[in-house]
Amino acid sequence: MEEELLTISQAAEYLGVSLNTLRRWDESGKLVAIKKDGGTHRYYREKDLEIFASDLMRFASEWIQDGVEFPGTFYCPTSSSFNARLTKMEYALMQKPGFEKMYSLITLITGEIGDNSFAHNLGKWPDTAGIFFGYDLAKGIVVLADRGLGILETLRQVRPELPSHVAAVEVAFTEFISGRAPEKRGNGLKTVREVVMEQPIDLFFTSGDAEVRMQGPDKEFHVTRGQRIVRGCLAKIEFK
Amino acid sequence: MARQRNYMKLQLEKFGKTLISRELGSEAFKAFQPTLREFSKDEDLEIDFSGVLTLSPSWADEFLSPLLNQLDDKLILLPSDNLSVHATLRILQEANKRPFKIKS
Repeated sequence: MEEELLTISQAAEYLGVSLNTLRRWDESGKLVAIKKDGGTHRYYREKDLEIFASDLMRFASEWIQDGVEFPGTFYCPTSSSFNARLTKMEYALMQKPGFEKMYSLITLITGEIGDNSFAHNLGKWPDTAGIFFGYDLAKGIVVLADRGLGILETLRQVRPELPSHVAAVEVAFTEFISGRAPEKRGNGLKTVREVVMEQPIDLFFTSGDAEVRMQGPDKEFHVTRGQRIVRGCLAKIEFK
Repeated sequence: MARQRNYMKLQLEKFGKTLISRELGSEAFKAFQPTLREFSKDEDLEIDFSGVLTLSPSWADEFLSPLLNQLDDKLILLPSDNLSVHATLRILQEANKRPFKIKS
């Protein structure tokens, strides 16, 4: 049976990106189109689009590092749209065998990280507002990212003496402090850290050049300095 | 809201099943104020978590913490086997530096 090819317009709709984005991606080799019989029209196999759309980490990190456009299905412009998608994820997780109780912890940590992006950047988004929120429950992965102020700049509003991204991220995950003074305290990231430590959940989190990696059965919480700098935040949550 | 003898019971799921965001918790608390005003001084308030799917610490800090401040040991939480409720209550007790009264 001959496989049906999608036109560039159909592919654009499938991925939720513009036609120009697809043309650029074809030229750069990021997502190469099929040209039938040496013609100029671009075509795509649905299977290829499905595989392309599944690399969440690449989309999120290229967006926060270089502003590269990602498929529209992963974009939550407001906290209400984030809430709505989070509820969808929660419902889907509840159906996953083995997650009849765990779903609430994964939803909790996703909700706290995602909501933080909106709460701390309200009225202060440096450029694109909103967050990247993608998940693949079959693979057991959730990715969240924003191009907001990032942890250091946010916490410097109440702790101007914070010397580095690493110091700020450490404070964010261990102290009851909020960047939104006079709001009493932030407890979301503390809870995230506690839940991840106690459960079979892995977390990778980065803001600025600070990185948190909590992976595997002997995981620990520590913040290290990575090679690249990102403005905003990126989180990857993994579970089996 | 069931009113029996000397306690009032609140089904928290009336505010939603997925309780996240500080903003939404704060709105919920404001919406609850009229009911709280009717509340008699010698009544207990019991909070029932059944039906809640996910309770986050940000939401709960804006709803349960001020209630605890206001009602003191007249605030009683009914036991729940929801993992997010456990995690959230634990962190709030740490942040507030005082325990919630949980009905056994």
